[in-house]
Amino acid sequence: MIRLFLRHTEPAGRRPLRYLLLAAGLLLALALPWLIYPPVAMDIASWALFAAALDLLLGYTGLLSFGHAAFWGTSAYAAGLIAIHSGLPFPVAVLGGALLAAALAVPIGYLCVRNSGIYFAMVTLAFAQMIYFVANQWRSLTGGENGLQGIPRELLGLDLSDPFVFYYAGLPIVLLGLWGLWRIVHSPFGHVLVAIRDNPARARAIGYPVERYKLLAFVLSAALSGLAGGLFAISHGFASLQEVNWTTSGKAVMMVVLGGIGSLWGSTLGAALVVQLEDYLSTAGFDGIGIVTGTVFVLVVLLFRQGLWGAGRQLGAAAGRARRRRPKPPAATEAAPVPTPTTREEAAWTPSPRG
Amino acid sequence: MRTTIRAVTAVLATGGLLVAGCGRGGPGGGGDEKVSGGKIVLAVLNDQSGVYADLSGRNSVEAVRMAVADFQAKYGDRAVTKNIEVVTADHQNKPDIANSKAQELYDRQQADVILDVPTSSAALAVANVAKAKKKLYFNIGAATTELTGKQCNKYTFHYAYDTYMLANGTGSAVTKEGGKNWYIVYPDYAFGQDMQKSFTAAITAAGGKVLAKDPTPFPNDNFSTFLLKAPAMNPRPDVLGTMQAGGDLVNLVKQYNEFKLRDKGIKLSVGLMFITDIHSLGPDAFAGTTFTDAWYWNFDDRNRQWADRFTAKTRTRPSFAHAANYSAAMQYLEAVQRAGTDAADAVVGRLEGYSYDDVFARNATVRAEDHRVVHDVYLAEVKPKSEVKTDWDYERILRTIPAAEAFRPVGTGGCAL
Repeated sequence: MIRLFLRHTEPAGRRPLRYLLLAAGLLLALALPWLIYPPVAMDIASWALFAAALDLLLGYTGLLSFGHAAFWGTSAYAAGLIAIHSGLPFPVAVLGGALLAAALAVPIGYLCVRNSGIYFAMVTLAFAQMIYFVANQWRSLTGGENGLQGIPRELLGLDLSDPFVFYYAGLPIVLLGLWGLWRIVHSPFGHVLVAIRDNPARARAIGYPVERYKLLAFVLSAALSGLAGGLFAISHGFASLQEVNWTTSGKAVMMVVLGGIGSLWGSTLGAALVVQLEDYLSTAGFDGIGIVTGTVFVLVVLLFRQGLWGAGRQLGAAAGRARRRRPKPPAATEAAPVPTPTTREEAAWTPSPRG
Repeated sequence: MRTTIRAVTAVLATGGLLVAGCGRGGPGGGGDEKVSGGKIVLAVLNDQSGVYADLSGRNSVEAVRMAVADFQAKYGDRAVTKNIEVVTADHQNKPDIANSKAQELYDRQQADVILDVPTSSAALAVANVAKAKKKLYFNIGAATTELTGKQCNKYTFHYAYDTYMLANGTGSAVTKEGGKNWYIVYPDYAFGQDMQKSFTAAITAAGGKVLAKDPTPFPNDNFSTFLLKAPAMNPRPDVLGTMQAGGDLVNLVKQYNEFKLRDKGIKLSVGLMFITDIHSLGPDAFAGTTFTDAWYWNFDDRNRQWADRFTAKTRTRPSFAHAANYSAAMQYLEAVQRAGTDAADAVVGRLEGYSYDDVFARNATVRAEDHRVVHDVYLAEVKPKSEVKTDWDYERILRTIPAAEAFRPVGTGGCAL
């Protein structure tokens, strides 16, 4: 039995710093539409959930999916169609889209998880391209190249036409998704995923059905990507082929790598960076957008191997060591040789290079 | 040292605040009540870094600036306002970015009108934004007839061309000139399917016959299957009609030449081609190809004069999209001038049913029924290199298709305004 949502017994003495960071993050999420243009804020929120969902596979299961646009896009179209044809409140439409994405992920994942590494990436890409061509061809349903236009935003008769208001209507869905991801990676199930990532042979030897775990991680990741994709479609009022294009998969992978593989919150940072960069560059009067985003990507990969989150954490750890090294009464000598449980526990979360 | 840095920072910050303050209290604050915010803002939203950057892109912004300068020169002190701005954004051919940017342009940059917007999904998304914000939108870069069909709205105008006009012009003209039997090859997505349908209708109406039509994958590099099939057909087609665009078109034309189909009596007709396509592959590759052009810079003196001014600024010859951006900006400003205000509903009222004639749009009318701007278009043939006299002199205009015949008849598109 796979224990998905059971609480993993945390070692005692968790630092309050973690809660402080969480509160700061939450506050930032709430303040975002004040700081930047609200539709862009909504984009950041949607992409953050998408990137974090992808990170569940890439960072915690060690599977590089290059076809997650299939789930994001399928859900975008499904949520749009549900909203257009049924007039149901938008969270229901988004949930419907996410469920369809999860359903789609079962057969695709079933076939994919038997591969790993580059083969897994290629097979997922192939399936995503299949979805792309279906969306392109099935014009009566998806609008083909013109896209599925005019998706309404319905919620109990509220007026959500203002993107500022819609942000607060959509944010709970994103937060719920992120909370779900956080619970998944901190559950016993999440720990087994990390074990599988680090050493699949040993995990199998211990008796874990490795493929089944991978498949479940794949489906969960697809469902949460779908949640993000549906919300994205509703927020823009349309779904287009861009949503199922391979560049969308690539963009999500880029966000995860920029933010830091294997750190859920890092992915949200990566998402914010990429979306802001795209938004800024579109009016910057510079016609080499690809050059700039590419350069940023190369720099981050070269200088911050563990992404922005990893770099920040290393900085924090260095500061912490410096603090501990300062001459202090007896406690210092006690703490110095053996790392505290928290640090050790944290160390387990840093992805190993062989990921 | 540290104090110095602090002092410098403080001075810079104060300076920055002062400059910002001045900017706000400056020109715009005077309060010109005729136009919103004391100024007219024209926004160009298009692809400035991708596949459409050459045929429209940044040079269209330059064309719009030319229109503003010409408008100011024409009206001088009589102009409704002297304060006219041009802003721009790159939508990177992504509909989601186009959507966010359009909202931002209307809301934050106080744009009164958005121009261009290639890529049909982006074009339709921006049409929905224009409708919601009740601001004007002239689409130039996109081909979809949906803009003046089921998804038309009060604030959206389709300016330069569309799939119907391209197909109808070439299909009926070439058929009437003797190309009775057609073989159509089209990319299997919305644009190609629309073009194929319109072509077939136009050819049949003109007394021709479509022997076969084959969808091709998109994108596609290898068209040999279709090009080998053409000469083997019985009866042999007179014309190969291709609806491919961009890179696919270049591949198909290269292979058409390799298979020497022209020597076998099969002419080539292209659905959508920009002068930038001919320029990139060279005129010899396309020589003899017929297509419908919305405007050609070397058509007459009026066009040449405008093109020379454009070239002086951009160092390249204008495509029809550049000229159309100029024209649309000019006609928008003229409508504001006639209305005496930039209030969107008043300007729309002044545009609907308006007839005019400018460097791009000859014998033009803004149709009130569906906001299709109809104007003369041209059946063009690509010259062989030996006949090309100057740079970019690639086309021979075979005939002018009058505005009344060129576009989809009113009432057939399903637009309910």
